[in-house]
Amino acid sequence: MKLLRMFLVQTRMNFVWYFRRDGEMVFWTLAMPVFFLVLFSFAFSSGPNSGSSKFLVPGIIGAQVLSSGFWGVGVMLATFREKHLLRRVYVTPMPPWVFFASLIVYRMLLLAAQAVILVSVGALLFHVRIVGNPLEILAVLLLGTATFGSLGTIIGALARTTESANNVASILTVPLAFLSDAYIPIDRFPHAVSATLRLLPSTQFIETFRDVSVYGAPLAGYGVWLVALALWAVAGAAISARTFRWV
Amino acid sequence: MVENLVRRYGALAAVDGVSFAVSPGTIFGLLGRNGAGKTTTLECCIGIGTPTSGTIRVLGLDPTRPRDLAALRPKIGVQLQATSLPEKAAVREVLELYAAYYGIPARAEEMAARVGLDDKLDRQIAQMSGGEQQRLALALALQHDPDVLFLDEPTAGMDAFGRRILWAEVERLRDRGKTIVLTTHYIEEAERLSDRVCIIQRGKIVAEASPAELVAEHGGDASVTIGANGFAPGASLERLGRWTKTGEQWKLATHGEPGLALAAVVTEANAIGAKITSLDLHRPTLEDAFVAITGETLGEHE
Repeated sequence: MKLLRMFLVQTRMNFVWYFRRDGEMVFWTLAMPVFFLVLFSFAFSSGPNSGSSKFLVPGIIGAQVLSSGFWGVGVMLATFREKHLLRRVYVTPMPPWVFFASLIVYRMLLLAAQAVILVSVGALLFHVRIVGNPLEILAVLLLGTATFGSLGTIIGALARTTESANNVASILTVPLAFLSDAYIPIDRFPHAVSATLRLLPSTQFIETFRDVSVYGAPLAGYGVWLVALALWAVAGAAISARTFRWV
Repeated sequence: MVENLVRRYGALAAVDGVSFAVSPGTIFGLLGRNGAGKTTTLECCIGIGTPTSGTIRVLGLDPTRPRDLAALRPKIGVQLQATSLPEKAAVREVLELYAAYYGIPARAEEMAARVGLDDKLDRQIAQMSGGEQQRLALALALQHDPDVLFLDEPTAGMDAFGRRILWAEVERLRDRGKTIVLTTHYIEEAERLSDRVCIIQRGKIVAEASPAELVAEHGGDASVTIGANGFAPGASLERLGRWTKTGEQWKLATHGEPGLALAAVVTEANAIGAKITSLDLHRPTLEDAFVAITGETLGEHE
């Protein structure tokens, strides 16, 4: 009960404080992906219904999951440390996992809002239909958010300053978004390249999410990748649990 | 209790063999200049810093051991030096969050009133003065009624009003049997609050005693200074101490009670008909003792 209350209050405060701090940034967090969707849909195709929107809606949501983990969790933790927020909570009885989990859950809810908006815009403007099993889609999204949130905590653990965390997050997010089948189909690359890129957790997550959501593929066919993603999540948590510094 | 604490950063020993014991129910002041090692010592006691060597026990628990630290956290309250609260959080919200951390009912109104912030419950941190933030930090340290309080420079940057509130609250806590460890570079604060003061200089303890003992031992002589036309100390006054004359002023440095010396000086001046133009009494303070012990001033206005 105590832990549940701790977790709920912390998550609620994350929302209240973050929205108050950068209401404007939240607007852009929600608006930018829509902008990308519209821009790329027209840029990569001769018009609506050509299929590229169907590729882009899940791709952009997937890219948001990545950046949410690297920026929203990783860089955020480094900022908290730099502002001495972490050392203050470290001397309270709150278990560290409550703090991390509430940050990741907060990002999950924000991502859910982004996904709803992107799917709605995709449906209204480009007739993209979500045909997969809703529970399976949700499961993939949750797993992806947990995986990249967990990997994000490594950035938060190892980066000494907010600035270096920022640099690491940009170095990871931008190339990964383009090499993980998010914006550009990697099948356009030679087979050897695309096969290699499919070893990345980001590619595995985005392709699974896309196939399950807009193509209605059954989740059961992606067992190996799902296990791999879960292992990345566990590895991330284990590494940051060992290396995380509160001061 | 701290024994032989050493904390090195590379070749630099920030804390170099510090030992002290704090009696329960007392206020213990770590006094020293910025960078003397006060904060590092305090941080080692609350598990933020890891000692290079040495032993620490707080309430019988070892803050360097994770299991002990977990048991210790609910029993201690901490006020840290640097601003460490989310800038967009309101006073009430932070108090509610910290109540949840400790699994206690939130007492936002009561706590805010105790530190004089009852009219600022909905004020955001970013809109508060540094002193107000410090008082909120104190409220957060107190809300769960801890047995031991660690306050790191609790009144740094506070105005006189905030300082009075904080001092009164700290004394009230001590009177209720709480133990308080505080660091400060304000002599006045150490002298006013501490039951025992530990002067720390370049990572080492150079003196430890009650403020009164430190003053008596190291503060030097009290003095009486008199300016009076035609005054000169007679034989009876010579016995009171050492006289020096600067311009028209006679100064008596005395080991004895300066109030009695003052009375004797005035009586003599009146007896010989010298007209008194100025009269001063100086008792040694902790500041005199500090300068004598460390050879440095505190440089409060740096």
